[in-house]
Amino acid sequence: MPMPKGYKKETGYGSSKSLGGMSYHQIAEKMNNQNYKMNHSTARNVFVNGLIKIADNITKIHGHNFDHKKLKSIAIDPRFQEAISEYMKEIEYDRSHSNNK
Amino acid sequence: MNSSMIESYMKALRKRPLLSKEEEIELAKRIEKGDQKARKIMIESNLRLAFSIAKKYAKYGSSMDDLIQECNIGLIKAIEKFDWRKGYKFSTYSCWWIRQAATRHLSADNSLLNIPSHTLALSRKIIQLQKEYYEEFKTDPSAEEISAILEVPIKHVKNALSCSKAKNTYSIDTPVSDENGRTLADILPSRDMSLDDMIDSKIFKEQIIQSFKSLSKREEMIIRMRFGISEVLSNDNNVCEIKEEK
Repeated sequence: MPMPKGYKKETGYGSSKSLGGMSYHQIAEKMNNQNYKMNHSTARNVFVNGLIKIADNITKIHGHNFDHKKLKSIAIDPRFQEAISEYMKEIEYDRSHSNNK
Repeated sequence: MNSSMIESYMKALRKRPLLSKEEEIELAKRIEKGDQKARKIMIESNLRLAFSIAKKYAKYGSSMDDLIQECNIGLIKAIEKFDWRKGYKFSTYSCWWIRQAATRHLSADNSLLNIPSHTLALSRKIIQLQKEYYEEFKTDPSAEEISAILEVPIKHVKNALSCSKAKNTYSIDTPVSDENGRTLADILPSRDMSLDDMIDSKIFKEQIIQSFKSLSKREEMIIRMRFGISEVLSNDNNVCEIKEEK
């Protein structure tokens, strides 16, 4: 499915650099080493599917009931990805600090 | 120092006669040999010059007594450096040192941050250039253009440009002009999260933790790798208490 016109200009890409992690190729390689057979496309699909589930849960908590297409558009939005990434890092930080105390 | 004290200081200075060129040379020779008395006479005879230069800089906001002190220090430095063999009068030579002392004091006094005098000098040059450039081309010059015109490295130009901004630095304890004695620290908004934001953030984190329970191990691992969070799944070191392997 082509990206909507002007989408990239408005939102940019959710790159591995902006998210602070690995590229899909690197992820696929690492997963293969752990006996999860996949290529970079599969890695991306699994990543997006995971985020769709997160988006679904969060939107349901807030009283929305979006269809799959809408959820996918949220999941692939780099702003959503970056926000989830930031929150996950904060959660990890909070946990590591509470474990140290 | 109030105006009456300055007047009495001026009166005291007038009592000391000015030196002729021959007397200056004579004293300079004695100073070279380490004669402290000659040095003292030379200083005292030229305090009037330091005072007159200090008066010219008084309009730039510094206190007069500080300026007089700084100019006197400049005068003493000039005496140490004066070379009578070059044939100039001492006043011609010393006024540059006195002016330098005054301008350095003013620039140090005007800013909270201590900026090197050469950077300030370059900053003044740049401001002058920017004015002229704007008058001619109706636009501001870029750092690269300034660097090329003044023939100084671009790094120095950038430092000088940022130092001119540093002049507008204020202490957080600067009193605000009202009667309650409040300072800037009292009125500036905090950048920390508000209580509402903190509660929202906490709720949202819990929602994310809950959402992770619906993910498979594979999805969770990939999301972690993509976000640069430890991809090793173990029950005790799990970021979000995500459910165990299906």
